[in-house]
Amino acid sequence: MTPRRARVLGLVTIAVLAVLPWVLARHQLSILVDLLIFGLFAMSLDLIMGYTGMVSFGHAAYFGLGAYGSALLLIHFQPPVPVALLAGALLAGAVAVPVGWFSTRATGIYFAMLTLAFAQLLYTVAYKWRDLTGGSDGIAGVPKTTLFWGGPSLADPHAFYWLVAACLVVSLRACRALTRSPFGRALEAIRENERRFVSLGRDARPFKVVVFVIAALFAGLAGALFAPFRGFASPEVMFWVLSGQALMMVITGGIGTLVGPVIGAMVFLLIQEVLSSYTEHWMIFTGAIFVLMVIFLPGGLVGTARRWMEARG
Amino acid sequence: MSFLVEQLLNALALAGLLFLVSAGLSLVFGILRVVNFAHGVFYMLGAYLGFTAMAVSGQFWLSLLVVPPVVGVIGGLLERSTLRFIYRRPPIYQLLLTFGLALILEETVRVLYGPTAKPVDAPALLQGAVPILDTLYPRYRLFLVVAVGVGVRLFLARTRAGLVIRAVAQNSEMADCLGANVPRVRTLVFGAACALAGLGGVASAPMTTAYLGMGIGVIVDAFVVVVIGGLGSIGGSMAGSLIVGAAQTWGAFYLPETAMVIMYAVMGAILIFRPWGLFGEEE
Repeated sequence: MTPRRARVLGLVTIAVLAVLPWVLARHQLSILVDLLIFGLFAMSLDLIMGYTGMVSFGHAAYFGLGAYGSALLLIHFQPPVPVALLAGALLAGAVAVPVGWFSTRATGIYFAMLTLAFAQLLYTVAYKWRDLTGGSDGIAGVPKTTLFWGGPSLADPHAFYWLVAACLVVSLRACRALTRSPFGRALEAIRENERRFVSLGRDARPFKVVVFVIAALFAGLAGALFAPFRGFASPEVMFWVLSGQALMMVITGGIGTLVGPVIGAMVFLLIQEVLSSYTEHWMIFTGAIFVLMVIFLPGGLVGTARRWMEARG
Repeated sequence: MSFLVEQLLNALALAGLLFLVSAGLSLVFGILRVVNFAHGVFYMLGAYLGFTAMAVSGQFWLSLLVVPPVVGVIGGLLERSTLRFIYRRPPIYQLLLTFGLALILEETVRVLYGPTAKPVDAPALLQGAVPILDTLYPRYRLFLVVAVGVGVRLFLARTRAGLVIRAVAQNSEMADCLGANVPRVRTLVFGAACALAGLGGVASAPMTTAYLGMGIGVIVDAFVVVVIGGLGSIGGSMAGSLIVGAAQTWGAFYLPETAMVIMYAVMGAILIFRPWGLFGEEE
């Protein structure tokens, strides 16, 4: 895609996002907020998966940490929501430092299994530490407070939508800039050929740990938005199923495109929404759709669309 | 003293079940280079089919004999119809494909059997408990310790299939060169590994009942086992199973709230010194 076409597409998207809340009914708007939050989450996974070639099977842990961090802060101290967002993201990032340090000792499949193991460990902690996390009941009644001290309330659905949309757009721009920076180029070099990268006299591991932590920060941000939006945080938000779904979103949308995973998350959740209104056993069908996508559409939706456009010129 | 023996036997019984699952996981990885996320679901499938076989025939030994091949055939068919098309892709695609298969199978079992757990009776011969020193120990668990330990050992050491498995796990390229039909071997190995998981499932059902979610529980443990022991190494799976079995059993007794944490702490400690597992080789 030419840069000009890309910019036009970006502006159109922002315009659509700006118009949607006036068009959609209330429950449709709340579904849209959900899609945007999980879009942000899937995008954060693409940073490590698509750009560095490290497949994390435990990304939900950081979403969950963000959710618990912001939920606890909002329940106990009622600060403005952005403070809770920052706290949630930082909590996720802080935990990602030791986990990333450990997990990046291994590569490939070992890395995937290690991240899964750590995520299940964190899930167990959330599940068992009843005094802090409420155990399996989770934390309910997380308030949507204000934008800043004495500022406008975010309890209004439109206001919260703007916050989420802004977070997504800003994060997307930030990640795009990151992937185009020298740091991002180094990540791609590691993905393409780690051995050569090392033989050029660079150490790959610091890059890997740093990008792992950055991805966790954005996943934590998504989780920190999720808690006040839904009003609760429970162990399910760190469960392995969510980690697997995040991988599915990235693959569905198109790995290594940043925008793709956002679209993938939306398509994935919409399919789930539609299927679950017809049958309670929708997992069979999402599973089957996913198997077919892996076999027939390896580039995902965005990758396939790009190839199609390139073929047409 | 008797308490120590009891704990030791518990650890061995758990290790035996874990070994049946993680050996298959390791085998598939060693030969197909695929991490089969659906492997735990085949374990669950074994437990549920064991429940059905018991309900139909009332014969535990029969179901122990019949169910694993059935699970193996289902696994082989799934490999033929999906996995075989994507062996050339990066490993993540195969992992994700098996994740999709796991979702389908798990939900199918839910549709067929409903959400409640299904109890399975141990055979009359193995019901009750035996006195060991001055405590009573459940016979069925003792059976697991002895049967799995001895059975697997004999299978690997004395049968032709065991020989091939060890050979391929050791050096799959060389085994290929010695005239194996690769696509067929892949299907057979995948099916055999699923059958092993199914066997673990049938055998575990009298101890744990058959329930939804038992697949993911066991696959995460099995991942820890192979990470500790090293993927693709049968001996590693055995060592890893013993370590995880011991960590979980003693952890559950001394620190019930943090048993899981112990397991991961052990894993972390081992990985600091051996990032590829005790018996694994650097990729």
